[in-house]
Amino acid sequence: MECVLLRPVPEPPRTTHTIEFPYTRTLGPVIGPFLTGLRDQRILGARTPNGGVLVPPLEWDPATGEAIEPDLVEVGPGGTVETWAWVTQPSRKHPLDHPFAFALIRLDGASTGLLHAVDAGSMDQMRTGMRVTARWKDERIGHMTDVVFVPEAAA
Amino acid sequence: MSAADTAPAEDGPVTMMDYFMQLEYHELLCPVVRRYASQLLEGRLVGHKCPSCGLVYVPPRGYCPICVVETTDADEIVLADKGTVTNYTVVTPVQYYGQEETEPFVRASILLDGEGGMMNLQDIVDVPVDDVHVGMRVEAVWKPPGERNVDEISNRSWGSAEGCIDGWRPTGDPDVPAEQLRDKAF
Amino acid sequence: MLDVAIVGYAQSPSWRNAELTEPQFLFPVISEAIERAGIERRDIGFTCAGSCDYLSGQTFAFVSNLEAVGAWPPISESHVEMDGAWALYEAWVRLQHGDIDLALAFGSGKSSPGRLDEVFSLQLDPYTLTPLGADPVSLAALQARAMLDKGTITERDMAEIAARSRQSAADNPHAQIRSSPDADALLQEPYLTAPLRRHDLPPVSDGACAVVLATADRARATCERPAWIRGIDHRVEPHQPGMRDLTESISTRQAAKHAGVDDAPVDVAELCATFTHQERLLREAMGLDDTVRVNPSGGPLAANPVMAVGLARIAEAARAISEGGAGRAVAHATSGQCLQQNLVCVLEGA
Repeated sequence: MECVLLRPVPEPPRTTHTIEFPYTRTLGPVIGPFLTGLRDQRILGARTPNGGVLVPPLEWDPATGEAIEPDLVEVGPGGTVETWAWVTQPSRKHPLDHPFAFALIRLDGASTGLLHAVDAGSMDQMRTGMRVTARWKDERIGHMTDVVFVPEAAA
Repeated sequence: MSAADTAPAEDGPVTMMDYFMQLEYHELLCPVVRRYASQLLEGRLVGHKCPSCGLVYVPPRGYCPICVVETTDADEIVLADKGTVTNYTVVTPVQYYGQEETEPFVRASILLDGEGGMMNLQDIVDVPVDDVHVGMRVEAVWKPPGERNVDEISNRSWGSAEGCIDGWRPTGDPDVPAEQLRDKAF
Repeated sequence: MLDVAIVGYAQSPSWRNAELTEPQFLFPVISEAIERAGIERRDIGFTCAGSCDYLSGQTFAFVSNLEAVGAWPPISESHVEMDGAWALYEAWVRLQHGDIDLALAFGSGKSSPGRLDEVFSLQLDPYTLTPLGADPVSLAALQARAMLDKGTITERDMAEIAARSRQSAADNPHAQIRSSPDADALLQEPYLTAPLRRHDLPPVSDGACAVVLATADRARATCERPAWIRGIDHRVEPHQPGMRDLTESISTRQAAKHAGVDDAPVDVAELCATFTHQERLLREAMGLDDTVRVNPSGGPLAANPVMAVGLARIAEAARAISEGGAGRAVAHATSGQCLQQNLVCVLEGA
């Protein structure tokens, strides 16, 4: 903590504090295989009773709330950008330290959009409907950031 | 690049995930706590005395939550730096993430003499942990003026005088009977 | 359903960086709401608060907030880790039991100490969204892009909504931004998170709001022109942003239908459109045409005290009826990213 109390500053003094929680979460029968898949360079979706494929896979159908039997199928690694946002000033929590796009990516074989980062270099490389594909990290641990997406043309 | 080129060392199923959550906050010190902190640096404990019920709040809050009336500088009083332990607990630290203590320590509630005012979560020093008891008479151990700081004082210090008072030590005076302190636990 | 009306309300100013603590700035707001209701504090049968401890990073901050209420001797109270609008919903449900006739709901938040993008990333799916640092502004930008691509809004429309909202706040003493350059000037600004510019976002605000509810007899006895709650409903959509249509607000449409928005014409709508494009989306979901005055207070684009901003919409709608001569008003509050969860409240003067 620091405090600038009683120094001649133009605005009132402020205190700083930091909170930290080192969480460890169990992953379960659907997210576990999904993140295992990322480690192994495979992207998995969950097949719903009505024939859709949810990515990321869920344990229930968001349309009906019904439980889904884990029936995981491989999708991607290519896909189409459904919508995107260009992040000009990435925060320390973002997956890339330089400007990038967040996008909803409809991976080939999926029926929903996956939120992920597209490392496109500059905003003028982005457009809705463009093709992107997975770029895997060398060191993968089973985590969302094992992968980012890049324009297919650049891959 | 193929999967075989970059296969990670571990190949069993991934069943757990770590997430290190960290958030930083920067908050302005509110006026009544600024005043409290500046008085601590001068070696004085101050509080607000509720004009309605007479309860003393240290540090001042700017209101009495019991009577729901605002309190101001006009309600400020200088408090004693001697008092009586009304309640305490001995914490045996578990070494969870972020725990910096390693040995058992005391956190005590101290009712200040005279006008009153409760100092909560105070350290008792110069006495073995096992000897701390309700009714024990104590006095503040002030840091020398040049060594005082209020770096740890925040809007939610809950009576902390850290940086100015190192703790409270026994005066050796006779105890106050515990039955006189039953409604002064916190 | 028992008839319940809003008989008192109050708001704090909206500060960029409040010097007071949350209980300290709540204190006069709650007292003012009670005073305006013309009731005694001890007559309140139930109190419900909405706030978020992560905003200030202090465990049990919501308990400290009770110090502003007068909670001794112990009172009957509850808390939601949500906007105060949901606290009002709980208070309205509590009044339906019929055994008490007055309830207090309040919401408060101090956004300035932390970083809202990092705090609100933590309300997302902890396996697939929080690890990406997905934040409210980026997600709202995805939604705006989807609407732009679909042709249901333009960047100029968005700038005009920003300019109009901020200019509407000129006479609102609780607002933080009370003037604006015109849309042409706003469109010259660079993108923050494209396609959003600074004006598409709300300000960062600290503030509080409190509302007093009364059942029918008590409302008539204490208030000259109560704002009667004729319908209130809230609905939620799937959490994953890629698993719902971001260009529509189905949950708002459902809540509006169940609250009876289209039973009669609406004079005023106070919408929790935290980003410019969301105003368009909400108007369409509720079927509000151009005759409806939308956000005469300026709305969240002029002041966004998180956890109080939705309740403030209800308070502003009630004010439009009790003081502004409106006959029928609609208030909306939201929770989650990209309007995931929505509450709609219909108020009438008679």
